[in-house]
Amino acid sequence: MKILVCVKQVPEITDVTINPETGTLMREGVASILNPFCEYAMEVALGLKRQQSGIELVAISMGPPQAGSALMRCLEMGADRATLLSDARFAGSDTWATALTLAEAIKRIEGDFDLIIVGKQAIDGDTAQVGPEIAEILGLPGIMYAVGVELAPDRKRARVKREVESGYEIVEMRLPGLVSISKGPMIRSVSSFQEILDARKKELRALSASDLELEQDKLGLHGSPTQVVEIFPPLVKDRGELIDGSDAEAATEKAIAFLREKSFI
Amino acid sequence: MYEITSEQVPSVAFDTIRRVESSGDILKDYGSYLLDESKLSHQGAECLFFPTTEAELSAIFREMAKRGVKVTLSAARTGIVGGAVPYGGAIVSLERFDKVLELRYDRSTREWLVRLECGVTVRDLNTWAMKKNFPGLYENGSPETKRFLQEYREDHATYFYPPDPTEMGAALGGTVSTNASGARTYRYGPTRNWVRWMRVMLASGEVLEIPRGKYFATPAGEFTVIDSNGSETTIKVPTYSMPKTKNAAGIFSAPNMDLIDLFIGSEGIFGAVTQAEVALGRWANPISIVLFLPSDDKAIEFVQLLRSEKGLHPEFIEFYSASALDFLRIKQKEDPKTVGMPIIPDYAEAAIFFDIGFDPEARDNDYSMLEALALECGSTLARSWAGYEQRDLERFKEFRHLLPETTNAIIAERKKRIPELHKLGTDFAVPDEALEEIWAFYKSKLEGAGLEWVAYGHIGNNHIHINIMPRTIEEMHLGLSIYREFAKKAVSLNGTISAEHGVGKIKKEFLSIMFSDKDLEEMKAVKRALDPGLMINPGTLLDIVRKNEDTRLRKTGS
Repeated sequence: MKILVCVKQVPEITDVTINPETGTLMREGVASILNPFCEYAMEVALGLKRQQSGIELVAISMGPPQAGSALMRCLEMGADRATLLSDARFAGSDTWATALTLAEAIKRIEGDFDLIIVGKQAIDGDTAQVGPEIAEILGLPGIMYAVGVELAPDRKRARVKREVESGYEIVEMRLPGLVSISKGPMIRSVSSFQEILDARKKELRALSASDLELEQDKLGLHGSPTQVVEIFPPLVKDRGELIDGSDAEAATEKAIAFLREKSFI
Repeated sequence: MYEITSEQVPSVAFDTIRRVESSGDILKDYGSYLLDESKLSHQGAECLFFPTTEAELSAIFREMAKRGVKVTLSAARTGIVGGAVPYGGAIVSLERFDKVLELRYDRSTREWLVRLECGVTVRDLNTWAMKKNFPGLYENGSPETKRFLQEYREDHATYFYPPDPTEMGAALGGTVSTNASGARTYRYGPTRNWVRWMRVMLASGEVLEIPRGKYFATPAGEFTVIDSNGSETTIKVPTYSMPKTKNAAGIFSAPNMDLIDLFIGSEGIFGAVTQAEVALGRWANPISIVLFLPSDDKAIEFVQLLRSEKGLHPEFIEFYSASALDFLRIKQKEDPKTVGMPIIPDYAEAAIFFDIGFDPEARDNDYSMLEALALECGSTLARSWAGYEQRDLERFKEFRHLLPETTNAIIAERKKRIPELHKLGTDFAVPDEALEEIWAFYKSKLEGAGLEWVAYGHIGNNHIHINIMPRTIEEMHLGLSIYREFAKKAVSLNGTISAEHGVGKIKKEFLSIMFSDKDLEEMKAVKRALDPGLMINPGTLLDIVRKNEDTRLRKTGS
């Protein structure tokens, strides 16, 4: 049985600020990490691999060469091998072009997969679109916002617990299929030094657009029906004024004067 | 050169300096200025000053000298031996000395140097150095500083400030005055090794500018300080020799010593360090490893092997004893999120935490030597936690820092019931060859006494913190007597009673275990020469009274 986990490298979001003049993300000195939801997807896949024998776990990502480090993290966690789709022609891909590239690559090089697991969204773009789009392009059943996955003994079906507004839903689907994961363990796992060393001996291959024989006009900026027009930080609200309440009468007068001034009363 | 001249600074009107001049207001609104991390009981303060320049600080010193008011220096208040806790008098908070002044590259020593005011925190210094962005330096710096800043930014290497006092909120001036150290002292030495220049304001209100390598004691062990009026004061360097271990107890002394070293680690009793220039070290990508071992003894064996293996260059070597792991297991059950790590494996009976160089991009990393050491001590590299991303390095460090935080929290809770209780945390270090002996001594005494205790710390420097956590007053007294035995044992093994916490107001009693009366008198003589009015930091490091008071006391006694 083969499980694919599609992952993305993202900036460690807590550090990112937006340049107010250019409207672009300031990434200098900001660490790049494996997207946390992708890490959750890896955890679910590893859980299945630990429960049942004979499961091959393959991590796939699309991104610049440095995104290889996110895949290395997957190998440290326990993926058997990894593939990075990297080409200047992929640059500027929106969610559709990304999903299309990943789906085409999966079809061509890992066509015998049984289950695709993805994170529900990336913490930089927050679109939550790539997972469902891959399922759509590959014509697969897809269950999104999952918190747990079980395989049937015959491995032909998966039982998925997913989040819905009112609680949880248990859904079964036939395989092959796609699941997106929305929750992970409270505490991030840690690899042993041995696992970190072993990961560097595993296969991590890089494939270009030509290797995959993908059509140029479906890739990157050309193949992207949507474009980001502007990025801007949310307006920062004033902190407001705190009235000292130790003298209740004076405080009330001050509050009334303020409300009058602003024409609330 | 052994003569140095102190200089006047521009004068400023004393009345214009920001201050709080009522002991009641200080107690009510500025209570945090009466405490530091030692939580030592204070004796209040009459006034609290917030100078922003040397001119203001000088005006305060001169005015306080005139009024006969003692001055306690303060800034980040992160010390744990009560250095910043006032015993009456005035508090002078130097927290507003927070500017970075200069960046330059010394081509002869091939190092980057940063000149800063004393209130800058070690955390800020490190963030600025690593992100290559020093606030205000480009806007306010000289053309030369701007050129260096440009060069610094273009340098592909990353730099950092290696002394790591665990509490990164500490102010630079405090760390210089206390010769602060921490885990990374194992590789990089204490703060002393990184200070290249300083300005220190004496009680007279005049300033000494001391570059390293310029002023050395005469063969007779003397310096001469000449003030701006031309009057001379002779300083006699103490004659004792310092322990060969990491040490933060007592005034530094060495034959032909550099004057700058007299002030580093003097706990601020000779004057206020207002500015310092420190060197930056080159940051090498490390990997943090927590290696789990089958027993405390095997962990110590691993430390000895790791230290003797010359190819690995650990940045630090830290110890989690069996008691520390059990302690963390309890914490993990109660609150797994605070611990922030996976479940500590059942087989782990001790652990050693260390950083070594690691290139995440390299495919041919050879750590077979480390593997062999682990195997020899009953472990394997699979029995470890490891991480090299910045967030993991921080996470591992927090996990280590959780131990003192948790012990402090437990004692704080017990203090609510019995206010007199306090933690007994040792800070002793011994030479390498005495590590096994002191550990066996600690263990036999503690196990025999039935006290609650936990051991962890900077084992790379043979500097294990034993934390005794008394539950009753009786246990505290028992713990204290054991603590004294430990101090004597450490000194008998050529170690120190304080490797990094300093003496402050809390550990003076133990200073006399390590230093003779003659040694202490020599320290006091330096203090009297540099601060004849005994104005600065009363009650810190030395119990000292003015010569005439001394005579008067003796007369009263007789």
